[in-house]
Amino acid sequence: MNPVLELRGITVPAQPRPRLEGIDLTIRQGERVALLGASGAGKSTLLAVANGLLPPQQGEVLWEGRSPARSRRGRRLQQARIGTLWQDLRLVEELSVQQNLNAARLAVWGWPKALLNLLLPLETDACRQAMATMDLEPHLLERPVSALSGGQRQRVAMARLLRQDPVLLLADEPLASLDPRLAAELLALLLRQALPPRALLLSLHRPDLLEGFDRAIGLRQGRLVFDGPIAGVHRALLHDLYEGTLPCS
Amino acid sequence: MQLRAAPPLLVLLPALVLLPLALLLPGLSHGGGWELIGQFASAAFTPSLEPVVLRSVAAGLLVTVAMALLGWAVSLVLGLLLGVASSRTVWASLTGSTVPATCIRRLLAIPRSIHELIWGLLLLQLMGLQPAVAVLAIVIPYAALVARVISDLLDALPTTNVEALRAGGAPAPAALLTALGPALLPGVLSYGGYRLECALRSATLLGVFGLGGLGTELKLTMQSLAFHELWTGLWLLLAVMLSLEAGLGGLRRRWLMPVRFGLQQPSVGLRAREMLLVLLALLPLSLLLGHALGVQPQALLTWQPLPPLQNDWPSVLALPWPALVGGTLALTLLAACLAVGLAPLLLLLAAPSRWLRAPLRLVWALGRLWPPPLTALLLLLVLQPGVVTGALALGFHNLGVLGRLLLESAADASPATEQALACAGSGPRLALLYGRLSVVARPYLAYAAYRSDVMLRESVVVSLVGATGLGSQLLESLSAFAWDQLLALVLVYALLTLLGEDLSDRWRARLLASG
Repeated sequence: MNPVLELRGITVPAQPRPRLEGIDLTIRQGERVALLGASGAGKSTLLAVANGLLPPQQGEVLWEGRSPARSRRGRRLQQARIGTLWQDLRLVEELSVQQNLNAARLAVWGWPKALLNLLLPLETDACRQAMATMDLEPHLLERPVSALSGGQRQRVAMARLLRQDPVLLLADEPLASLDPRLAAELLALLLRQALPPRALLLSLHRPDLLEGFDRAIGLRQGRLVFDGPIAGVHRALLHDLYEGTLPCS
Repeated sequence: MQLRAAPPLLVLLPALVLLPLALLLPGLSHGGGWELIGQFASAAFTPSLEPVVLRSVAAGLLVTVAMALLGWAVSLVLGLLLGVASSRTVWASLTGSTVPATCIRRLLAIPRSIHELIWGLLLLQLMGLQPAVAVLAIVIPYAALVARVISDLLDALPTTNVEALRAGGAPAPAALLTALGPALLPGVLSYGGYRLECALRSATLLGVFGLGGLGTELKLTMQSLAFHELWTGLWLLLAVMLSLEAGLGGLRRRWLMPVRFGLQQPSVGLRAREMLLVLLALLPLSLLLGHALGVQPQALLTWQPLPPLQNDWPSVLALPWPALVGGTLALTLLAACLAVGLAPLLLLLAAPSRWLRAPLRLVWALGRLWPPPLTALLLLLVLQPGVVTGALALGFHNLGVLGRLLLESAADASPATEQALACAGSGPRLALLYGRLSVVARPYLAYAAYRSDVMLRESVVVSLVGATGLGSQLLESLSAFAWDQLLALVLVYALLTLLGEDLSDRWRARLLASG
């Protein structure tokens, strides 16, 4: 399978110690990778480097085998292939669900269509399909996001990711603030979406939810200390990663 | 299919007025004058630095600043008193009835609805040219405006604390002061600071109409096409205004005062002692400034006899009222659309580049401080007089006011959503439009509603360019000493302003409620 994301010698300097140091990592199509580590281990920084938000000062990022494009348009299209599920969701509260889903297409749409989306419902069929995949009622499309419940928002954010149709799915602790049932549901949905050619990299603070992943990566104090199949994640490793602060196990 | 414009699109829609304007403007151009405009623009880089010019500009600026400070200080104190006097909560606690509050409120609507320029011109006729005219012209409408805001603030405060203190046996005045005073203070000072910025603009404007200070200098240099001298005055005024804005902004942050169109919840201010000291310093400051300006209290009491009313009511009725009212409304609407729509449009255009933001800020600052009648005179060099020319001048001024607020509130809004959209590949402009402008759209439009109502009141200031409706007719009647016409015009103007105020209040309440 082709690599979707390659990090080579990534270092993000900071005081008193680097936030990331010498990270080498390759993620291939169809891989479902869990990112483990205690708070402050560098999980969010790694994801920010992976989605292009934080250009690394040292090292190289390759998306689908290519380094960041020089041209603005090339770079935008590259960004459009990377989808991020933010912990705070980052939906536009003032807009309708459909407008939010379509906002994921802004990279490929021009101005006329982007403005039209603020005036009338566009590409309703595609939006309905994304809603159906996330078990959301189609009538919610017209609602403003501010009128949705917490669980609905979470799913709308997922549906927006599907509308973007990325090859690399990144998620920063998406399950952190959810109750156990909702967390399990969302995780199942995410894992189901990560089929080839798509890959998933998800940071997780609960090792009990590792089932369903192919591979785990362990970060400690900005360094990669483990990279292998989840079968290799044993108690001693977790203890080492969380330095004795292991949450529920 | 249902068409429904989403908030970020709503803020851009008024800019559509540019299309008909682009068609109209070539016809309005009278061909000449571009050379002069070029000279004016290039003079910006070479202001005159001659000692004589600098001295006279500095002297004019001092007079303007003193007029503004004095007018502001007196109007704030007076407005505070009148505001308390027109508060329903206060009357209800003292007497059990809110009727007096309502009556005082209605009475205060009249001074409020008439622009300081009209007050200035009327007082000039009554009292002759003296420094107190400009000060009074600022004080009368400002005090009434401050009173309205204060009473609204007071009546919006919960009264449970007052009732609790009263139940404990405290007399009504003490209970009111203890329970409401501290909560009111930050709002008063925040609004008061804003009024000081307005007062500086008003004092400059009154100068343009001959009431002294820097405005008079600016107009004279403008009319004699001495652009280098004109820019000396403009740059100095800009420096004063920007430092005033920065200073007040610093105080707002220091005292944690509510921002003007609040995206954040208003917070209770800290450092109450400092605030009180500032308020108490206003009284000696006023006395000092009054003395420095040469305001003579006894001269305020000697009024010139007015020419008798001619009672020529048929000629008053014969005025082209529909055209006058229509012209005023058209001017206001056009100026409002220009200012409200252009601010977000320009922000979007400048968004991707940090280099573009600085000149944009500068143009907006110039727009704010620049008296609209001067812009109008400048436009007359290339355009024919009329509603469009007036609206351009008024629109430019208000663009400066709205643009600054938009930029500030956009900077205050969280960048998270915009960042997320940019990460998903949308360009910087679309990310700003979807991610940030949608957040500020509703409060911005609510403020724009208020500003449109201000523009209606203010439309008189560009009446110099002629054929702009009520304002131009007012100036004409004034110079013809046609008092009956003048009376009718002022009344109609005031009525129109009050209707506009009511309309904008309703619109604002609706916008904020649906948010």
